[in-house]
Amino acid sequence: MAKSAPLYTSVAVNFRARTFSGTDVIALLARLVLGGALLLAGGLKALHPYQAAAAVRAYEILPISLANPLGYALPWVEIGVGLILVLGLFIRIGALLGALMMLIFIIGVGSAWARGLSIDCGCFGGGGAVDPSKTAYASEIVRDAIFFACGAFLLWRPGTRWSMDAMGSGRITSDLYEDELDVEEMEG
Amino acid sequence: MAEESKESRSQARLAAAAERKALAEAAAKKARRSRMLVSLAVVAPILLVVIVGVSISLVKTKVDSTVTAPSIASKADGYGLVFNASAKPQIDVWEDFQCPACKNFEDANGATVHTLATTGKARVVFHSLSFLGAESVILANAGACAADEGKFLQFHDYLYKNQKPENSAYWGLNRVTAAGVAAGLPKKSFTECVKSGKFAKWVENIAADGAKANINQTPTVLINGKEIDRNSGAYIDSSLFNKALADAGVK
Repeated sequence: MAKSAPLYTSVAVNFRARTFSGTDVIALLARLVLGGALLLAGGLKALHPYQAAAAVRAYEILPISLANPLGYALPWVEIGVGLILVLGLFIRIGALLGALMMLIFIIGVGSAWARGLSIDCGCFGGGGAVDPSKTAYASEIVRDAIFFACGAFLLWRPGTRWSMDAMGSGRITSDLYEDELDVEEMEG
Repeated sequence: MAEESKESRSQARLAAAAERKALAEAAAKKARRSRMLVSLAVVAPILLVVIVGVSISLVKTKVDSTVTAPSIASKADGYGLVFNASAKPQIDVWEDFQCPACKNFEDANGATVHTLATTGKARVVFHSLSFLGAESVILANAGACAADEGKFLQFHDYLYKNQKPENSAYWGLNRVTAAGVAAGLPKKSFTECVKSGKFAKWVENIAADGAKANINQTPTVLINGKEIDRNSGAYIDSSLFNKALADAGVK
């Protein structure tokens, strides 16, 4: 009886494959929040390259010759990373890139704040100098930190469910291997 | 007999189970491979969009020395519109016809700048930036059309007097040509110039040059290449602006 267990295991796998855990739900939300934010940020800036470049220059961190190309290119990179996160393709790579970008943004905004500049982060379009009373460094950093946390969570638990990474023929996906492992662990 | 048959049945069952497991593993391997292929097939066009987008942005934002520019535009001044080419000192005005802060500058100091341009007491260079939106591009192009008819200042003043909220879809081609006519421009040639976007590429050049010149907002006004301190109040206070001009040698 015990020796025929693998047969039943595969049945159990099929059943288990239709269920999902809290981690899966959090991972999906993390992907949609981080990916959606990047997609929105890139989409709002991609067709306004001069404004995007002005926003980067306003940080006064990079020399003009680097700030401008970064401003022109960044929105498209944001769109690319946003798309792969929302679709759930190569989630860990997207999460790594997204988290890194957020880390850089947090450092940039923090540096502008520390140096007493009065700029808008230019995250979702706009940007450049603003009235000192209109700076929002703290909320910009908190927001980016939330996005960063989404990326960090996905690096730790990509949770491939509801993603293109989980796509395959029917239910026979990497989930099967993971779930088999789970079953073995349970049996052990 | 019964023992043997039971054993062989159980062996057969084990063999069948092993076979099914092997099949399942093979199928899973195949599925993983096809999944990777599909993933790559989806990532490839995304990567292409990113690369094409970045490339177009980088190429589009280069200053193009072959553009059609209005006759008073000067390449050496980043294609800005130059009044009194040989006069001193130099006043550079970076502006956007849609920008409310530019109207504030205009309300305080527009008449002074206009007078400097017409009396030849300074070299005045106007740079029409356009990053507020599509209507800014239409207006900047129209400004260049007006310049080619010798009526840039009149059109410029008219636009600020009649400024509308940014990107409120007010400045369509018809309203822009009507504004030109109201500012004294010849209807036929001005309309043609506005509607064909004759200087649209020149407008891009101004924007690209503004990026290189580190102009991050409008209005930005420079006297002899030095940006007027934004916190000094000179942008909205004519006495402070006049003092800055006097300090630079404007009589």
